[in-house]
Amino acid sequence: MACSRHFTSSVGQRARVAKAEAKEPAAAFCRSLQERNCRSKQKLFSTSSVLSKDKDKSAASKDSPPEGAAKRQEDGAETSKQQLLDIIGNMKVEVSYRKKLQQLKASENKKQAMNKLEGLDNEGSVPQGITEDTQRDKPLNPELVKAASAVASSLPHNKKQTESELLAQLRRHEETTDKQKKGGTINIRNVISEMTVKRQSPAQWGARISGRISLQDEDGQRIRPDRSSAQSMDSRRSLKVGKRLNIFTKASTEPEHALKTVSSPTIWDLEFAKEVAAVTAQPPRNGFEEMIQWTKEGILWEFPIDNEFGMEDDAEFHEHIFLEKHLEGFPKEGPIRHFMELVICGLSKNPYLSVKQKVEHIEWFQKYFEEKKELLQEI
Amino acid sequence: MAAAALCWALRAARQVLPSSCPRQVRSYYVDWRMLRDVKRRKMAYEYADERLRINAIRKNSILPKELQEVADKEIAALPRDSCPVRIRNRCVLTSRPRGVKRRWRLSRIVFRHFADHAQMSGVQRAMW
Repeated sequence: MACSRHFTSSVGQRARVAKAEAKEPAAAFCRSLQERNCRSKQKLFSTSSVLSKDKDKSAASKDSPPEGAAKRQEDGAETSKQQLLDIIGNMKVEVSYRKKLQQLKASENKKQAMNKLEGLDNEGSVPQGITEDTQRDKPLNPELVKAASAVASSLPHNKKQTESELLAQLRRHEETTDKQKKGGTINIRNVISEMTVKRQSPAQWGARISGRISLQDEDGQRIRPDRSSAQSMDSRRSLKVGKRLNIFTKASTEPEHALKTVSSPTIWDLEFAKEVAAVTAQPPRNGFEEMIQWTKEGILWEFPIDNEFGMEDDAEFHEHIFLEKHLEGFPKEGPIRHFMELVICGLSKNPYLSVKQKVEHIEWFQKYFEEKKELLQEI
Repeated sequence: MAAAALCWALRAARQVLPSSCPRQVRSYYVDWRMLRDVKRRKMAYEYADERLRINAIRKNSILPKELQEVADKEIAALPRDSCPVRIRNRCVLTSRPRGVKRRWRLSRIVFRHFADHAQMSGVQRAMW
């Protein structure tokens, strides 16, 4: 059946979707058709069905619902259906899209570099651009127009209205893809489409207002009237539902060039720096600035007082206590070992030294005893 | 890269340089004895670790006595000013060797002078 045939128009389509959908088995497509059957027919032309999916799939999905709609009405005129199918079948089936996509992207990059100013201007005139549908650079694909008219004729409702609606949708889709190519301008329509006016019944108004007034008992304990209702109202619209608005750009996290090899500043650099600092350093205007200066110089401590100021010991407790691993250079028996174990015991109980200092102590003893080896062997 | 180095130098210089307003800076010690005391304190700080370790070997009942004698000789060979015993807690302002209160590092005369002029925080004339 023709349901296995997937078509793509040459306007603003991405290759991945086309390829993926071309590889889908017919069964999956029939399943998706049945899903759409469950939805109400009124949702055919609603914006949500177009905008909730990805921009990539929108044209394909848009074309398939009319296709599905045509198939749904089996009792309808078969001639029109055949017409539709013929039109759809004659459309280009472009399998190798990658090259074209690359070409498109290359041309896009060039255009973007040139048209950045134009794009900025266009952003300002976005609302105007929506209304001026007739003044577009790219006219609609005539095949799409034919398909739209065929679909409209196959439907029982007002044909002209449906046709105009379909065409308007196609135009909008094209505009949005163009804007995406130019670099994601903000479409106010998208922003507003997701917003709905909240309507509350008068009973709920009363509940809201009473909820704001916090009553207090005689004991002073707070009554919390109808908190649950207010919460349920707010949680209906969750944060992650809906289409992305692309208002905020991701802050590009560049890999920090912290490891830049800085050559040591020359004497002239230092002198210049000192001069500049001397000129710019104003005398403190008040006591606060004086204290700030003192703190910078180190005369004044930092408040709140940090007991461990200057002590940056990041070692864990086990590194302080279990120092036996440092005793590997010593003989395993004898008075020296006995002595070193006492040393380690004392060091492990010392909270004032850092691990580095303790290790230094042990290493010094090692060196000392190695130097005195001949003496020790005489004994 | 040069700009980064300059910025770093600028930052360092800013913190170290004193402000343009003149401040009283003590550039001389009160007398030579105070200067010698300062030198002894610095040396004692440098050699503190070594002295501690050698003393640990000396004041020992486990190690052989020959080793301890060698350690004795070693510690005697260290410079004389490195031992902390030679430090004298002098008055900070007058370099007076005697009559110095440890908490304020001042001699009794200076302490009395400041306390009477109400320049010592929390110090009051005793009366009971």
